[in-house]
Amino acid sequence: MQITPQLLFGQLLVGLINGSFYAMMSLGVAIIFGMLRIGNFVHGAQYMLGAFGAWFLLQLPVLFPGLGLPSLNYWWALILVPLGVGALGALMERFLIRKVYNLEHAYGLLLTIGMTMVLEGLFNVRFGAAGQQYGVPDLLQGGFNLGFVFLPTYRLWVIVVALLVCFGTWWLVERTKLGSYLRAATENPDMVRSFGINVPLLLMFTYAFGVGLAGLAGVMAAPIYQVSPQMGQNIIIIIFAVVVIGGMGSIFGAIVSGLALGMIEGLTKVFYPQAASTVIFLIMALVLVLRPAGLFGKETSAHSGTDVVTARSDSILENGRLWLVILGLAGAAAPFLVYPVFAMKVLCLALFASAYNLIFGYVGLLAFGHAAFYGSSAYVTAHAASVWGLPTELSILAGVGMATVLGALFGWLAIRRQGLYFAMITMALAQIVYFFILQSPWTHGEDGIQSVPRGKLLGFIDLNDPLAMYFFVLAVFLLGFAFIYRIVRSPFGQVLKSIRENEPRAISLGYSTDRFKLIAFTLSAMLAGLAGGTKAIVFQIASLTDVFFSTSADVLLMTLVGGVGTLLGPVVGAVIVATMQKELAGLGGWVVVVQGLIFILCVLFLRKGVVGALEDLLSRRAVRRRDAAAADRIAAADRIAAEKR
Amino acid sequence: MSGTGADYIIEAKGLSKQFMGFMAVQNVDLKVRRNSVHALIGPNGAGKTTTFNLLTKFLQPSAGQILYNGEDITALKPDVVARKGMVRSFQISAVFPRMSVSDNVRIALQHKLGTSYHFWRREASLNVLSGRVDELLEAVGLLDYRRHNAAELPYGRKRALEIATTLALDPEMLLLDEPTSGLGHEDVDRIAALIGTVAKDRTVLMVEHNLSVVSRLSNTITVLARGQVLAEGAYESVSQDPRVIEAYIGGADV
Repeated sequence: MQITPQLLFGQLLVGLINGSFYAMMSLGVAIIFGMLRIGNFVHGAQYMLGAFGAWFLLQLPVLFPGLGLPSLNYWWALILVPLGVGALGALMERFLIRKVYNLEHAYGLLLTIGMTMVLEGLFNVRFGAAGQQYGVPDLLQGGFNLGFVFLPTYRLWVIVVALLVCFGTWWLVERTKLGSYLRAATENPDMVRSFGINVPLLLMFTYAFGVGLAGLAGVMAAPIYQVSPQMGQNIIIIIFAVVVIGGMGSIFGAIVSGLALGMIEGLTKVFYPQAASTVIFLIMALVLVLRPAGLFGKETSAHSGTDVVTARSDSILENGRLWLVILGLAGAAAPFLVYPVFAMKVLCLALFASAYNLIFGYVGLLAFGHAAFYGSSAYVTAHAASVWGLPTELSILAGVGMATVLGALFGWLAIRRQGLYFAMITMALAQIVYFFILQSPWTHGEDGIQSVPRGKLLGFIDLNDPLAMYFFVLAVFLLGFAFIYRIVRSPFGQVLKSIRENEPRAISLGYSTDRFKLIAFTLSAMLAGLAGGTKAIVFQIASLTDVFFSTSADVLLMTLVGGVGTLLGPVVGAVIVATMQKELAGLGGWVVVVQGLIFILCVLFLRKGVVGALEDLLSRRAVRRRDAAAADRIAAADRIAAEKR
Repeated sequence: MSGTGADYIIEAKGLSKQFMGFMAVQNVDLKVRRNSVHALIGPNGAGKTTTFNLLTKFLQPSAGQILYNGEDITALKPDVVARKGMVRSFQISAVFPRMSVSDNVRIALQHKLGTSYHFWRREASLNVLSGRVDELLEAVGLLDYRRHNAAELPYGRKRALEIATTLALDPEMLLLDEPTSGLGHEDVDRIAALIGTVAKDRTVLMVEHNLSVVSRLSNTITVLARGQVLAEGAYESVSQDPRVIEAYIGGADV
């Protein structure tokens, strides 16, 4: 390809525009994370709200005919929408986000993911996937011909405003009294409270401000990009990567990285367009290797404990041998009671969720990119079976091998950071896999790999027979389930547990905890791959959904609903979520909204999940019974003593 | 082993640690004699815990060198140092809260079986350790609690459990960070007696605020103030040192 100056500067300009948006958005995310310790995943949806807000204001007479409302133009939107979105943010903080401040970071992320699903789902139901147009305001029409490139006035305006907003905010936080209260409030809220400052209000204001920035970015984006419910989806993952690159708690880092990465992305479009959508994630991986704290990040304490809920290991619900038999029997009966294809789907998902639970539940690492392992294995299995003509079992094995290698690589990169960062990093790495699969010719893009032959197992069991297929899937599931149980209840599993409970102590006892985490992560990826490969054979298709972000969110939802860190939780969660998706299929777009609501409700009220709550109930009953028996014994002893007297 | 290695188990030279411009520890030289009890005392903010973190490699020093048994361990990771026989405790009790008391000790013991990476092996394979677990729990008076979760123990018992867990590794050298802080009188006596027993065939370096415990147990005392060594010697000489008295009285921490 010929690289002309027009192309080069044109893309640099586009990169600078994108970078301006990245900078404004990462700034908000960095402030909210720095001050509130919340990974604000809903930032993308709030940006979308901003763009729709501008569009609504313009459409007021059309949307509400007969009220005599005026059509409010861009300039009104520029003032009103950030305030409106910010106010909405304040409400979200007051009624939802505030509830999870004292919980593990993971829950803040999960909550905001649920909020994102609800918001984007609602807009999707109302407006569909198609975008709305929003014109460039009259005053900013036209442009300048700089000779080497044509610069539209509106784009120049975006760049100038973004820079002013970014550096103004940086100045506000780092150089003013209000900013110093804010920074102090995050360090030591009690101390600041004792100065007579209303800390909850301060935090609410901070969140609203960060969200308002997203709203502003949305208004400014409306004339450039299409106004659509999905417009925030991809950008939020990029923003998370930018924040990781910029460095923890560094507002300056977020701004500079946002601008720089936008331009690097633009340059990549000129020199190697295939990598344009992944270059930011690749840079993130590189930064993690060379400078784990981020480019502008400060050295942070190396180890922080993770406090996810856990099972009662003595509960009858945690007895793996018993439940292996029960699940085996139930599984054998299932194809005669429910539709076998549905049962197979549940089994694949249950295995996937159990594999995921191994890393989230038993090691306490919030991984957020397991779709990469599930999906890549599905693709490799499908390719091996249909193009290479490998036998079924070898095809699945090839997929599992792919997932294992990816898992080892991603794990090696991600375990350098903890908590929320671990989630953001795995999310970004999974995006690389998604874009790779989207662009590679052998994966057939949007179509996926279809009509994958089921073949003959070991050369003689014809898997086209539905029952044979079903029992093969059941066997794979039970094997995976038993294997996970063995891992958890092994000398290795004991060390994992100790790492989850108190990592510094485990280190001081001589355990190389990073190596344990890496092995656990790789095993988890491997088993997720087994689920993905099996799924490709069952449904005879590998599709983009399998590697998409939503699949990572689904598996997390299943684990959360069923019970994080419990043996049966992921299985129960898979049954619940799959049933719900099937029953609600008629509602179309509403499914996402309902799933989002379940996410939110689980985080707020049912963090132990169904199985965890049940274990608690059983254990409380056992304690009550024991106490009652003890009381009876004492009463009887008293009676005997009284009679003696 | 190099020349002086036989006498001193630890030799730290010119140890410094800087946190964003603040010198938490400045040019500290510290030698710990083998099979002695060595106490590190000083007012709050003197850099005691930082020194601990530096010695056990939980923090990387900005400058200086650490020799352990004559070997330079300055560049090693904390888990490697632990495997070499230098095991630490933490200021706040460091147990594995949602594991049973016996599992807490067993996690340290299972190290020597060499099966800790064996994810395919049964947990029951660890049962060979039960006898030793019970011995260790007996020694710290926790045998009756072995089935409880560590989180349910009262604070003093947690500290005892921590010591049992540390001893399970049979370390050559123990670093105890404020082993009696936050304890009632009875518990202080019990833990102090325990440390005395433990120290019979080991080296102990401890950070301790309770001066009666320090005077009772330790052979050598190093006083830190503002990140530097103020005085060093036996309890009698150190406690008479005017600079030490000044540092304690002058500070808020009396």
